[in-house]
Amino acid sequence: MTSSGSPVIVPRNFRLLEELERGEKGIGDGTVSYGMDDGEDVFMRSWTGTIIGPNNSVHEGRIYTVKLFCDKDYPDRPPSVRFHSRINMTAVNQETGVVDPRHFPMLAQWRREYTMENILTELKREMASPANRKLQQPPEGSTF
Amino acid sequence: MGGEPDGAGPTAGGEAGAAEGPKTVHVRCSNGNKFSLEVDLSITVGALKVMLAERCDIPADQQRLIYKGRVLKDDNSLDSYGLQHDHTVHLVRGAPASVSGPPPSGTTPASTPAPGSGALSQTPGLQQTPGSNPAGLGAFGFPNFGLGAGAGAGAGAGAGAGAGGFGMGLQEIQQVQQQLMQNPNLMREMMNMPAVQNLMNNPDLMRSIIMSNPQMRDIIDRNPDLAHILNDPGTLRQTLDAARNPELMREMMRNTDRAMSNIEASPEGFNMLRRMYETVQEPLLNAATMGNEAGGDLAGNPFAALLGGQNAAQTQGQQIPSINLSNATNATAGTTGAGAVTAVPNTAPLPNPWNPTPTPGAGAGAAPGAAPQAGATPLAGAGLSGLRGSAGLGGLAGLGLPDFGAGGSPFGVDPAMMQQMLQNPAIMQMMQGLLQNPQYINQVMNMQPQLRSLLSSNPQIREMMQSPDFIRQISSPESLQQMLQMQQAVLGQLQGRQPAGSTPGQPGATPAANAGLPDLNSLLSMFGGLGSTFPTNTPDVNAIPPEQLYEAQLSQLQDMGFYDTQENIRALAATGGNVHAAVERLLRNPG
Repeated sequence: MTSSGSPVIVPRNFRLLEELERGEKGIGDGTVSYGMDDGEDVFMRSWTGTIIGPNNSVHEGRIYTVKLFCDKDYPDRPPSVRFHSRINMTAVNQETGVVDPRHFPMLAQWRREYTMENILTELKREMASPANRKLQQPPEGSTF
Repeated sequence: MGGEPDGAGPTAGGEAGAAEGPKTVHVRCSNGNKFSLEVDLSITVGALKVMLAERCDIPADQQRLIYKGRVLKDDNSLDSYGLQHDHTVHLVRGAPASVSGPPPSGTTPASTPAPGSGALSQTPGLQQTPGSNPAGLGAFGFPNFGLGAGAGAGAGAGAGAGAGGFGMGLQEIQQVQQQLMQNPNLMREMMNMPAVQNLMNNPDLMRSIIMSNPQMRDIIDRNPDLAHILNDPGTLRQTLDAARNPELMREMMRNTDRAMSNIEASPEGFNMLRRMYETVQEPLLNAATMGNEAGGDLAGNPFAALLGGQNAAQTQGQQIPSINLSNATNATAGTTGAGAVTAVPNTAPLPNPWNPTPTPGAGAGAAPGAAPQAGATPLAGAGLSGLRGSAGLGGLAGLGLPDFGAGGSPFGVDPAMMQQMLQNPAIMQMMQGLLQNPQYINQVMNMQPQLRSLLSSNPQIREMMQSPDFIRQISSPESLQQMLQMQQAVLGQLQGRQPAGSTPGQPGATPAANAGLPDLNSLLSMFGGLGSTFPTNTPDVNAIPPEQLYEAQLSQLQDMGFYDTQENIRALAATGGNVHAAVERLLRNPG
C-alpha cells in the first residue's frame, strides 16, 4: 500500500480490536465510553459511544448516545457518526442526528491516527464550546 | 453549574479496591475518580448500583452506569452486557426520576452483546489464519456419519496424500502401506502428527498435490463430481479423522451398509446404484488403466483396481457403499489380475456388496463392512499414491531420505514439481515434523529390507541415519535441493546405462528396480558429496525469491490486512516464515 520504509500501517482489524479493548477497559481519558454493538460482527462495523455531558454546560449530567459506523475503509476514512440521543448542537443535523463533517473539522480533516475515542472526546469538547454550551436542549431521553 | 459530582467518588473510592478476585470491575466516575470492586458478574446492574452507592455518595437511583457506550439497565445482569474481569464501567450521576423512569424491561440478554462470544468473535484477524494452527484440526468434527461413504472416499485422497508424505521415497509404497495397515497404531500416530495434520489442514496444498498429477487432473476434468469431493477440505478432514479413529471408521462403514440396503430396497435404488457405478467407477478405472499403459509401471500395481473402487465411493458422498463396493471390485479386479482390468467394471454391476467373503485384506470382523475398513483406507491411499507415484509425485518422498529417492522414484520424478514442493513451506514443515520423530525414521528404515541390509552391511550409514544432526541437515531445504540435482544426475546415468521401461513401482520387481540402483559405492559417494556440500555452498536457496518462499504466509498476511508486501517479506524473513511472529513484528515495528 505504501512504500516500504514508512511506518507500518496497522490493519483495520487490529486497529479496531485495539480500540475495542481500550473501550472495554476504560483506557484513555475515561470521559467517554464506547463498545461494539454486535459482538458477533467479525467486521466490527457498528459501534456505540456514550458522551457524558461536560460540566458547566447545559449538557451536564446528561448522557448522549452516539452511533459510529466503521466501514471497511476505516481508519483510512472516518466512520460515520450519528447522535442517537437528541441533542441541539451546531455540528449535528437536527433532523437526523448525523454529525456534519463540515461543522466538525475532525471528520473533515480525518487522519488515520484518529480513533473513535478521539471523535467522542472532541464531540464532548464541542458541547462545551461557547457556541453550544448554552443552547436550549430537547428533553433528556428523547432520540432521533 | 455545580461540580456536584465532584468530590463524590473519593470518599469511598479513593483507594482502589483490592484486585484479588477474578471479577474485578473498575468504576470510573465522571469526575475522574476511579475505584475497583469485586463483583459476581451474575448480579444485576441494580444490585451493583446499591454496592456502588456505598462507595460513592451517589444514591443508587441516580447512578447511571455506562459500559461499552451503553447505559446499563437495572434489571439486566452484568454479564448480559458482556462485562468481564478488568473492564471498566463509567458512573455518572443522573437525574433521579427522568431516566430511571422508562421501564427497564426492553432489552433481553439476546439483544445485548453475547458475553462470552464477544471476545472470540472479535478477533477476525486471527480467525483468518486457520492453517497456521495445527491443533485446529477438527478433532471435534466428526460431524456426519451419514456421509460415511463420502468419507471413505475422501480417505483415498487423504490417506493417499498422507502416504505420499510418509512414504518417504521408499520405492515400495505398498509395503509401507501394508505395514501401516498391520499397525493401526502407527497409522494413527502418523495421522496425529502435527505435520501431517498441517498438511491436511491445507486444502490448497492438497488440491495442488492432486492437481499436479496429470492423471488425476484428467480424471477430475472428466468427472466434475469427483472434483467437488477432492476440492472439499471437509471431506479430506473427515477422512483423516476416520483414518485416525478406528471406531469412527467402523461406525461409518455400518452406516454405509445401512444406507446401501435402504437404497436397494427402494424400487429405483438398484438402478441408481448401477448408474453411479457406471458413471463414476468406470472412468476412474479406465483412467487408472490408462495410466497403467502410459506409465508402463502400473501393471503390477495391485492398487490400480482398488483405486477404482475406492474412488467410486468418493464421488457420491451420500449413499455409496464405499468399501463394500470396492471390495467387490477388488475381488473381481483382483482375479482378472494383471492386464485386462478394463473390461471388468461394466460386466458385473454389483456383486452382492454385503457378502462378507470378499474381504481379502482384513481380519475377520463381525460386520462385513467393519472388516475391511481397518485396511481399507490406507489401501485407498495407496491406490492414490500409487497413481501419483506413477506420475512422479511419489517423489514427495524422495525428499526425506535421499538414497531411497535415488533408488525408487527417479523414473517418475518430475523435477519441476519437486522444485515446487521443495519451495512449499508447508511441505517443508511436514518433513521437519516427520524427521523430528526418530522413531518413525527407524521404523521406516527397518521396514525396508533393502535399506536394512544396506544399513547392516554399513554401520557407518546406520550411524548417519540415526544421528539427528545428519537428519536435520539432510532435511534442510538446501540439501534437499542438492539431492534433487544429484538424483537427476544419477538418474541420467542410470537411464543411459539401462534401457527404459524398468518398473520400480512393482512390488515383485523390487530387486529388478534395485538393479537400477546405483551400487553401494556410488551411494556412499553421494553421501560423501552431500556431506561436503552441507556447510559451504547453498546456492539454490538464495535463488528462491522470498515472494515464492513465503507465498502462503504472504497471502495470510494479506488476508489479515497487511498490504505492504515488501514489509511483509521483511518481517517473514526475519521471523523465519512464522506468520504470528511476523504479525507481532509488524505491529510492533515503529517505522
